[in-house]
Amino acid sequence: MAGLGDSTGKAEMNDLLLSVAEQLKVPLITIARQAELGQVTGSVDISEIVAIQTQADAALTLVDSYLLGLELLREQTSLALEPVSVSSTLVDTAHDLYRYARQYGIKLELDVAGKYAPVMAHPHGLQSALLSLGYALVEAQAVQEDGDRTLLLAAHRTSHGVVAGVYGNYPDVHAEQWHKALELCGRARQPFAALSSGSGAGLFVADAILQAMSTRLRVGRHLKQVGLSTTLQASRQLQFV
Amino acid sequence: MSNILFIEPNTLLAQAYTKGLRRDGHIVNHVLGAQTGIHAADTQSPDLVILELELPGHNGVEFLHEFRSYMEWQEVPAILLTNLPPGRVGEPGDLAMQDLGIKAVLYKPKTTLQKLLRTVREQLALS
Repeated sequence: MAGLGDSTGKAEMNDLLLSVAEQLKVPLITIARQAELGQVTGSVDISEIVAIQTQADAALTLVDSYLLGLELLREQTSLALEPVSVSSTLVDTAHDLYRYARQYGIKLELDVAGKYAPVMAHPHGLQSALLSLGYALVEAQAVQEDGDRTLLLAAHRTSHGVVAGVYGNYPDVHAEQWHKALELCGRARQPFAALSSGSGAGLFVADAILQAMSTRLRVGRHLKQVGLSTTLQASRQLQFV
Repeated sequence: MSNILFIEPNTLLAQAYTKGLRRDGHIVNHVLGAQTGIHAADTQSPDLVILELELPGHNGVEFLHEFRSYMEWQEVPAILLTNLPPGRVGEPGDLAMQDLGIKAVLYKPKTTLQKLLRTVREQLALS
């Protein structure tokens, strides 16, 4: 992404804002209709309260991640990266995502076995990017018509670094579609139709945060699952500790 | 009591609408996408279809083309309940809308549950 100071960077952030605003409609409509239902029936089930709460959490996470992405891109030149444990970040992400995934009937699995050297990242940024990605992929997995209800948060090592990502059963998702989706963000209503029936803002917000850390979100594979992941550079300093 | 086929990709939003429709005395079959919508119609024989246009994979228009290609479903009224802003969707009187059997267009952010129930009752009474 171009710098925020130039016109290209500003246009990209405007596109991202449009995407976020469009995405926010969904949880807000759900909250409004759940509340109306409670008013009409005169009673509210605990399941409806939980649904309202998780939708509000999803909306807040998206707004918060968008703002963090904006902030980090502003500070990009002086962004303080520090050694971060990918495994711990993925475990924390799974924990934060658990209630939302359960609401959609999605089972979360973690694969962080193996020792990974700490990576250089902005701790809050990495956590927010993975969480934003996770929320978006829970929604994507929930509309898969093949009945697969599992999402995998995983890490593996490559010669380029440690790859952290979220994966599911998305046989039709390819790198080319993702590149096209990045161009269409904020300009098309369904930029990544293979994964999301909406604007898919969470995916683009995650990518914006990662860009501020000089990495990107890419289509990747883990075992037989396909998803989106990012490659993080190992902290050379701590490799020798 | 009417059979309603409801195609909505968001499960949680669908739950709220489905509860409201059932409370109004309808039998609701909710599906997430176009493909399962056709299968559901095959087993349910719907009296009315409510659908979002923006679906994963095949979109709502593609669903309606496929749906209308079957003789027995050509007269089943369809209501669009969509996130697409009003300016981006035609009016029910438009020729393309008529061809697809779309009787009403409701913009989700502006459509209360009560308004949806009213529209459903009206369309079922007319059909």
